[in-house]
Amino acid sequence: MANFQVALVHWLANAAPPIAEFMRSKWGWPMAESIHFLGLSMLVGCIGLFDLRLLGMAKRIPIAALHKLIPWGLLGFAINITSGSLFLLTEPDQYIYNPSFQFKVLFITLAGANALTFYATTYGRATRPDAPPDAPRTAKVIAAVSLSLWIGVIVCGRLLTFFRPGDCGPAGPGVIADCTPRR
Amino acid sequence: MNFLAWLESTAASEWVRGSPSLFAFPGILSAHTVGMGLAAGINAAIALRILGVAPNVSITEMKRFLPAMWFGFWLNFVSGIGLLIGYPTKALTNPDFYLKLALIAGGVWLVGRIQERIEGGGARRLAVASLVCWGGAITAGRLLAYTYRHLMAGR
Repeated sequence: MANFQVALVHWLANAAPPIAEFMRSKWGWPMAESIHFLGLSMLVGCIGLFDLRLLGMAKRIPIAALHKLIPWGLLGFAINITSGSLFLLTEPDQYIYNPSFQFKVLFITLAGANALTFYATTYGRATRPDAPPDAPRTAKVIAAVSLSLWIGVIVCGRLLTFFRPGDCGPAGPGVIADCTPRR
Repeated sequence: MNFLAWLESTAASEWVRGSPSLFAFPGILSAHTVGMGLAAGINAAIALRILGVAPNVSITEMKRFLPAMWFGFWLNFVSGIGLLIGYPTKALTNPDFYLKLALIAGGVWLVGRIQERIEGGGARRLAVASLVCWGGAITAGRLLAYTYRHLMAGR
C-alpha cells in the first residue's frame, strides 16, 4: 500500500505541471475551491432532494418526474471530480496520505455503489406510471444511506485541512485552524 | 476594535479557535458546509425547476422541500455565529463578509418572492436572481479565507 501511495503521489505530482502552476497562482486555488463548493451544492440540492422525496417528503410529486433533476446532480458531481482533481494534481501528498481523504474516497465509492443498487433493484418499481406516492421500503433505505454518505463526503472533505500530513503552521499536523494552502 | 479584542479573549472564542476537539472549529465548519449544500442546493433545485428542468414536477409542490432548505439555513445561521465568535475580526473587517451577508439576504428575500410569483407565473427572472445570489454567497464565503486583512484584533 505504501509503495502504491508513493508511486501515485509521484505520478500525480508530475502528471500536469501547467495545472499545478496555475493552481499555485494567486487566485487558482481559491477559484477551484469556489467551483468545488458550487458543485457540492448542486449535488446535494438535486440528489439529496431526490433522497428526501424517496424518504417521504413532497409525496405529491411523482418520483419519476423528480428523477429528471438527477442529471443536474451528476453534473455537480462531474464538476467536483474535475475541480477536485486540480487539488490532487497540485498537492498530491496532502491528499493521498490524508486519512480524511481516504475516507472521503471510500464514501464516494460507496455512494456510487448505493446509487447503482437503487437502479438495479427498486428504481423501476418506484418510477412506473402507477407507482404509489410512498416509495418502496428498499428505496427508502437506499435514500437514507445516500444522504448519510454524502454528508460523510462533505464532512471528510471539510476535515481534510485538519488531518494534513507534514507541517502546516507552527502546531504541526493535527487540528490546524489557520491552515491555508502552502507555496 | 476593543469589542473585537474582548470577544476574542472570551472562553467561547478561544474554544472555537483553539480547542483540539473535532467538535470545535472543524465540526462547526463541517456543519456550515452541510447547511450550505442544503440551503443553496435546494434553492438552486427550485430555481432549475422554474427554469424548465423536470417539467412534470408541479412547481407549487416544490415548496414542500422548503423545510429542509430552512433547516440548512438555520444550521448555517447558528454555525456561522459560532465561526464569527471564533474569528470576529477576520470576518468583520473584511468587505467580502458583508457582500456574502448581502447576497444571502437577497437569496432569502427571493425565497418568499418566488413563492408569491409561482401562483401567477413569471418567476423565471427571480429564479435566475436566486441562482446568482446563492452562487455568489458560496463564492464570497469561500473567498473569505483569502481576502481577510486582519486575522485577529491588533494583528
